[in-house]
Amino acid sequence: MTSIADIEATELDQIKPKGFWRGVWSRFRKRRLAFSGLIIITFIYMLGILAPVIQTHDYRETDLRNTQQGPSAEHWLGTDRAGRDLYTRVVWGIQTTVIITVTSFITGSLLLGVSIGLVAGYFRGWIDAVIMRVGEVISVFPDILLIILLAATLRPRIVEFARNIEDSTGISGLVSSGIVDYFVIGVALLPLSWFGMMRLVRGQVLVMREAEYVEAARAMGTSTPRILFRHILPNVVSPVIVSVSFGIGAIALSEVVLSFFGLGVQPPRPSLGVMIGDVTARGGASVSVLRDHPEQLLSPIIVVWLLIFCWNIVGDALNDVLNPRAR
Amino acid sequence: MLAYIVRRLLWTPVLLALAAFFVFMMGTWAPGDPAELRLGNRATPERIERERERLGLDDPFPVRYVLYVADALRGDFGESYHYQGKPVLEIIAPKLWVSLQLNLAALIVAVAVGLPLGFYAAKKQGTGKDPAIVITMLILYAMPVFFTAPFLILFFAVNLHWVPAAGWGGFFSSQIVLPALTIGIPGAAVFVRHMRASTLEVIGQEYVRTARAKGMSNFVVNYRHVARNALLPILTIMGFTLAGMFGGSLIVELIYGIPGAGRLSLDAIFQRDFPVLTAFVLLGAAMLVLANLLIDIAYTIVDPRIRLQ
Amino acid sequence: MRITIFGMVMSLLLIAAVACSGHSDAPSQDTAPPTSTPPAARATQPAIAPDLKDSQYNEPVAGSGGPQQGGIFNTLWSDPPTLDPHLVTDGTSYGIVIEVFSGLVRLGTNPSNPFEPDLAESWQVLEDGTVYEFKLRNDLKFSNGDPVTAQDFKWSLERAAHPDTSSTVAEEFLGDIVGIHDIVEGNATNAEGIEVVDERTLRLTIDAPKAYFIAKLTYPTAFVLNRNNLESMGRDWVDEPVSTGPFTLKEYRIGQRIRLARNDNFWDRPAYLDEVVFNLAGGVAMAMYENDEIDVTGVGLADLERVQDPTEELNKDLVEVPPNFAVSYVGFNINEAPFDDANFRRALNHAVDKQLIADQVFSNLVKPAYGIIPPGFPGFSADIQGLEFDPDLAQDLLAQSAYADAGSRPRIVLTVPGTGGSPGLTTEVVADMWRQNLGIEIEIQQVEWATYIQDLHRGRLQAWSGLSWQADYPDPQTFIDVLFRSTSAINYGGYNNQEVDDFVVAAQTEQDATKRVQYYNDAEQIVVSDAAWLPLWWGVDSKALIKPWVQDYTFSSLTVSKFKDVWLDK
Repeated sequence: MTSIADIEATELDQIKPKGFWRGVWSRFRKRRLAFSGLIIITFIYMLGILAPVIQTHDYRETDLRNTQQGPSAEHWLGTDRAGRDLYTRVVWGIQTTVIITVTSFITGSLLLGVSIGLVAGYFRGWIDAVIMRVGEVISVFPDILLIILLAATLRPRIVEFARNIEDSTGISGLVSSGIVDYFVIGVALLPLSWFGMMRLVRGQVLVMREAEYVEAARAMGTSTPRILFRHILPNVVSPVIVSVSFGIGAIALSEVVLSFFGLGVQPPRPSLGVMIGDVTARGGASVSVLRDHPEQLLSPIIVVWLLIFCWNIVGDALNDVLNPRAR
Repeated sequence: MLAYIVRRLLWTPVLLALAAFFVFMMGTWAPGDPAELRLGNRATPERIERERERLGLDDPFPVRYVLYVADALRGDFGESYHYQGKPVLEIIAPKLWVSLQLNLAALIVAVAVGLPLGFYAAKKQGTGKDPAIVITMLILYAMPVFFTAPFLILFFAVNLHWVPAAGWGGFFSSQIVLPALTIGIPGAAVFVRHMRASTLEVIGQEYVRTARAKGMSNFVVNYRHVARNALLPILTIMGFTLAGMFGGSLIVELIYGIPGAGRLSLDAIFQRDFPVLTAFVLLGAAMLVLANLLIDIAYTIVDPRIRLQ
Repeated sequence: MRITIFGMVMSLLLIAAVACSGHSDAPSQDTAPPTSTPPAARATQPAIAPDLKDSQYNEPVAGSGGPQQGGIFNTLWSDPPTLDPHLVTDGTSYGIVIEVFSGLVRLGTNPSNPFEPDLAESWQVLEDGTVYEFKLRNDLKFSNGDPVTAQDFKWSLERAAHPDTSSTVAEEFLGDIVGIHDIVEGNATNAEGIEVVDERTLRLTIDAPKAYFIAKLTYPTAFVLNRNNLESMGRDWVDEPVSTGPFTLKEYRIGQRIRLARNDNFWDRPAYLDEVVFNLAGGVAMAMYENDEIDVTGVGLADLERVQDPTEELNKDLVEVPPNFAVSYVGFNINEAPFDDANFRRALNHAVDKQLIADQVFSNLVKPAYGIIPPGFPGFSADIQGLEFDPDLAQDLLAQSAYADAGSRPRIVLTVPGTGGSPGLTTEVVADMWRQNLGIEIEIQQVEWATYIQDLHRGRLQAWSGLSWQADYPDPQTFIDVLFRSTSAINYGGYNNQEVDDFVVAAQTEQDATKRVQYYNDAEQIVVSDAAWLPLWWGVDSKALIKPWVQDYTFSSLTVSKFKDVWLDK
């Protein structure tokens, strides 16, 4: 269904005063639900970042004498069919989510989306037309299918390429470190992340470039990059933040779906999607697992659930707080 | 407005051609050979070569693309690689029909649950019920389908035996209940949210206050003025929901064993059945463009202040 | 005989395999790439495997009396790539086609003589084994009432071979018949090796005496079709085929369901069932079974514990499904470092505790494999000396190999087909054993099936897992010759041993059955000692659930036409 985030482009006031962000923060903090959401997100992300420190086992370590155990002092969330520690795999899975969301947020939303949006909105004309048309072509593909298609077809090529680099330069571990996986997933998720952001920024810029202060700056002979980055960019920050906080949940979920189908990170590295896909045998055993070993299915699912929920309420609150006019 | 519509309609074929080009490019570039997949692992290289020839895979990519477009313009989308010799449209059409029905059912669930609840929440603004509804719906919205589907199956099919656990029997069969709920409940959250927001907005509008001042009954005000006007933006969402159904219900189709478009296209990717995939993308794109256009037009009709440029 | 033409069982529950373990009595031989509902796939998650020895599942008959007429049998299946018998190359299509179409002979469930007369009531082998003369049954009819004659067979066999039919297996299954090769090549339309002696007598001449030519005729490529049906309906004939099997195709909706209805013109006693419905769209098999939506299902690992609990309701429906003849393995590319060193390969073999994996990961559904030919299969020898789990020996061997030092060892990439199923688990366990017992670190690479199969064919994989090999026909040739002969196309690892080649060549012409098996066993021992593979396990037992009202349902190792005997007691 459509995204719950339906952000209307609001014309923003002029450059924000210094105290603006402080005001935003204090208003945000008063929203207890959203604030606790932010704390939960931070907590989950910290789990992921600190995975190497807080793990209780090695995520690869199988223990065939202790398979499918329930939670215990030794294995906080129990073990899977190969006797691997679920807690450890969940925190490493979260790390995957952290890396994927952060990188595709930086590459997709920020670098591509914002910069292209700035360019399209500011220069208009044929540049804008071309960008918009390309975006339209991409956006007519059903999201998840495009992601799967990209991941399925790009991965072998990119892995091959990386291995060639490894062979010719003698650097090892490029592929095994997972960097290539993250790159593939990041690229596959691009269509999901960039176009919406770009359209949003472009819309803002279209409004903004007509604003008096921008006209004034132009008349004074200010250079284009300076106008873009100094005068216009700061004013699109708020909608960008809102859009990102809604978008990250979707990105996290897409990674889960990709990994569920075996197109995400490579084993033995865990990801929440891999864990879900594994225990349910790609869905077929999901009912049985839910009944007989719910901890195996619920451990990764609850994290995904919480993340998406929290990002949504945070996005909601940010939307209200940043655009006090739009309720 | 006419100029706008004409421009959009003229652009559509170009858009479709570009989309098809993209799929073709992926098809050429992707590892994996449809001929080889079809023949299996005992085929000799010569046999594979012959099969490639037969499927027309040996022509250079631009040639194949042009041939494809020429055929597609005549309504011939080629034959599936995987289903030996089946025309693509014959394969796609029933699946799309299934997905359409499923999504329609889900939409009905979403609307039936979402609109009244959203309206109710708005009317109860300021009480504890409003946030309770909103938060519950957000939780349901965030619930991953990997959990919803097995949970519903376990509860309603395996334990209670109320409805079948899987399969497809058409729109009016009991098999549609669980998948429609699975898609529809998170969808309801979207409607609750929008219904609540637009209701709140309309409640504050002058004509509503005027109506009240004129002494119209609460009921009339509620249902005639408030609800009706709040519905407008909702229509847009519905339009997009249906247009965006391509692939949208992939995992639901998987777990419930529904022969829909999501499954088909996923299989087509894995089987390198690019004729099916291309046609699928083209149809999906066309529907999306059409839906967009219709929504735009509907808007100008409903609200003459909006002008299309 | 060849259940799956590719003979490969993907070790996965393919993607949509929502049916985890699957399928009812699923074509455990699905080769198909992620097709919608991959039944099957049992290397890592053996679900259910058919059987040769225990052919019939007989429920204690409740009530009295004989078979009852009528009823509908529901089962899960996956979408068949084709229903044209002459084009069948995969287990999914095969399982349906053999219920609808038929040929001269068919596979039966008697292991000592698996070839039963079908449309032919008898046959004679003449001229030192190069001429087969078939006598058709009296008064044979197609499902539409047309008579079936020897002429129909000649036409059908030639049609199967014709290039326009584009059958990919005609050459393989019919190519022994004199003249077929020329038709396949497009140089002829008439095969002189197929003679119509009279209405009921067909004579096939083959190019050399071949013991299992008759086995090849059980494959659908040799089935009879109705000429008029094909010529009048053109390409769409297969939507409403005229056939000779126990059932006719009543409805086929791609990806949704296939309905077969009883063929009242079947030569034998007509089937009891009114209909067999194959649900093609998948779904959670276990839940569907419990909810009475399907009548039979394989039991996946996730459900094993529960159904084996005697207090469970389902436990009453549990049946053992004895062996399917498949072996799962990790393959090595013998020509690529570090797998070019036999000691290195042996070390890897000795470092894996298969018994533990079988016990703990597969709940003993699989049996650790220390040889190639599965137990119960013709040619199985208990005397094969396998490379047993022995971490100390493994370390010694590693030390003796050219790659003892981690620094001298090239990167090792083990590729598994990633889409669908979770072959990862097995591979991850094996990789972890290598790491723990030998300190060898490998990279696991998941690729989707299309890429996997292409790289495998091209010999681009250094090591691979997630595949198992399933018997094509009950003869050791299907394992040893096909997999390890240096010239075999399926010998993906490029294994090349002159002695092995000599043995399998000798076996080909050996007339003495015992000696012939001995040749294969000798070759097998060399392959095993040489560690050409790391054999993992044989898919031996598995479990299935079948509703108490289903009677006379056959679980067989080689897929046989079975629904004709099934009846419902309800």
